[in-house]
Amino acid sequence: MVRGTGVSEGIGIGFVHILKEQKPVFERHSITDVEKELEKLRNAVGSFVISTEKLAEKLKNEAGEKEADILNGHIMIMKDPVLTSEIEKLIQGGECAESAVEQICNMFISVFSARDDELTRQRAADMEDLKDRLIKHLIGADDIQLSTLPPDTILCARELTPSMTAGIDKEHIAGIITEKGGETSHCAIIARACGIPAVSGAEGIMQLVHDGQKAVIDGATGEIILSPDEETMELCREKKAQYDESVSILRSYKGKPTLNSDGEKYSVLCNVGNAEDIDKVLSGDGEGIGLFRTEFLFMDRKKSPDEQEQFEVYRTAALKMQGRPVIIRTIDIGGDKDIPYMEMDEEDNPFLGLRAVRYCMKHPDILHEQLRAILRASAFGDVKILVPMIADIGELRFVRNMTEDIKKQLSAEGKAFNENIETGVMIETPSACLISDILAKEADFFSIGTNDLIQYTMAADRGNSDVSYLYSVFKPSVLRAIKYTISSAKAAGIPVEMCGEVAADRLMTPLLISFGLDSFSVSPSSVLAIRREISLYTKEKADRIAEAVMQMSSSEEIKEYLVQNNN
Amino acid sequence: MVKQKLLVINPEGLHLRPAGVFAQEMDRFKCDITIRYKGTRVNAKSLLSILAACIKCGSEIDIECDGPDELEAINKAIELIESGFEGV
Repeated sequence: MVRGTGVSEGIGIGFVHILKEQKPVFERHSITDVEKELEKLRNAVGSFVISTEKLAEKLKNEAGEKEADILNGHIMIMKDPVLTSEIEKLIQGGECAESAVEQICNMFISVFSARDDELTRQRAADMEDLKDRLIKHLIGADDIQLSTLPPDTILCARELTPSMTAGIDKEHIAGIITEKGGETSHCAIIARACGIPAVSGAEGIMQLVHDGQKAVIDGATGEIILSPDEETMELCREKKAQYDESVSILRSYKGKPTLNSDGEKYSVLCNVGNAEDIDKVLSGDGEGIGLFRTEFLFMDRKKSPDEQEQFEVYRTAALKMQGRPVIIRTIDIGGDKDIPYMEMDEEDNPFLGLRAVRYCMKHPDILHEQLRAILRASAFGDVKILVPMIADIGELRFVRNMTEDIKKQLSAEGKAFNENIETGVMIETPSACLISDILAKEADFFSIGTNDLIQYTMAADRGNSDVSYLYSVFKPSVLRAIKYTISSAKAAGIPVEMCGEVAADRLMTPLLISFGLDSFSVSPSSVLAIRREISLYTKEKADRIAEAVMQMSSSEEIKEYLVQNNN
Repeated sequence: MVKQKLLVINPEGLHLRPAGVFAQEMDRFKCDITIRYKGTRVNAKSLLSILAACIKCGSEIDIECDGPDELEAINKAIELIESGFEGV
């Protein structure tokens, strides 16, 4: 078995068709008639634009407007006055048109490839594609024909250019394998838009396959199975049928509001752990960022990021969310998360020690810098502050007081921020839960962090397999803790969200609806599944399930009941 | 010459589509138009030059217009960048 990166989900079953690269070949020659050569270039540019417009139109019908924009981009690049004038300059110096195009395009390709930004590096692939096609137009060679492939084709190529991908007969393609490329390549984007399973970055695959060979690919895991036996094929066919069904159901929830069966509104937000995740929130159809973990900013480096660096990251997140909530959790270090330069002392009991807000109170400079960055970013969107590991009202007051001081400083400095920025409390200790009625009077919202809440409520280390039987959200004590927290929030009239794995557990959905949860914060890939799950319950049905569950005495009994009552 | 500091707010930054629209719009003006970003000068009429500068969402840029229609040009630039390329 070979493995690449899954870039477009789905199971593809079919026969390999190897795509051979056909680079245009030309002989570099000197020219005598400059005007004639310039005329030749203008004609080639003209026919390039016309054929690209046709491809873009085809792609628009098959995949959508956004995908067709990729090819419209090629037309825009072609019309760049700098590009054409540079090529013309070389021709005027006696270079033939083909070589002039090659040299100038290669210059831009090397500039784009050298950038450390994935999207800009993709432009190198665009230029490569544009260069080859423009030269083909100059020498009068045809574009590769991909519109007449046999059914159930697994297309295998070193790399698929945007124009090749656009030209493919999508009806007959069961899957795509490429040696090069990644999640953001045009090939991957178009494959996703057309629902074609695709695996990229499958190094060495071209040496392993031959035309007509049976193959199965899994566009989620990146697995490639060559010449599978009948038993494997049977399994794959089953998996494909299941996957295809679930996709068509979930797709209908994209772009829709989250409503239960009664039409009451909820939000499904996303957990974000690094800068790349922010884009996944948008593609996964999340309604905002419910938990922005900030630790990644502090990890894998020699000193902590300064205010400006943090501000830029938070501001970008706020801008990208375009008015949707961005809930930023202040740094949660300690416990199992150690950052060398922060000089954390060895502790006998790190999970009960100097963690999160406790660490910040002992090192207020770090919190001060972070809060300033968050406040300044709040001028650019619906940014909120979330404080982790609260066990005592004094901790919340400490953070709130510091926030108020910073607001005065920022006003004095003339810096913009949201005067009414909200501060929320992470409910993840039994103490926070038990005093949730007290906390609710001084917090603007709650966020229930289930991983730690389970661990601390059950006094069971989630990493220790000897006590893992205790680590379950279905324990009556944990369910009571969640229910009580939500009811305290409701009584005080503040919203309550849940982040952590439990929010994405579909068995829990009816209970959370019944308890009165407002927002579910999950990984971007779970948004549609949870939106769908919420839509399946009326309040009454959820209440009935919750009422039965809250009478039960063991997690086994509760889980079994929820499985039976799951849709 | 006129200049203005601007914040790039559209989620994809000055990448292919917005950069293309921007360059095309700027090319309509006679004046020289330059984007200053991280110490580099970029010809705002050239899509490829803008792409090479790799200007992401959340970046601050300076636009400079110099020539007969510089006021109209800078107003158009401000409108495009500040609207986040909405409706184009």
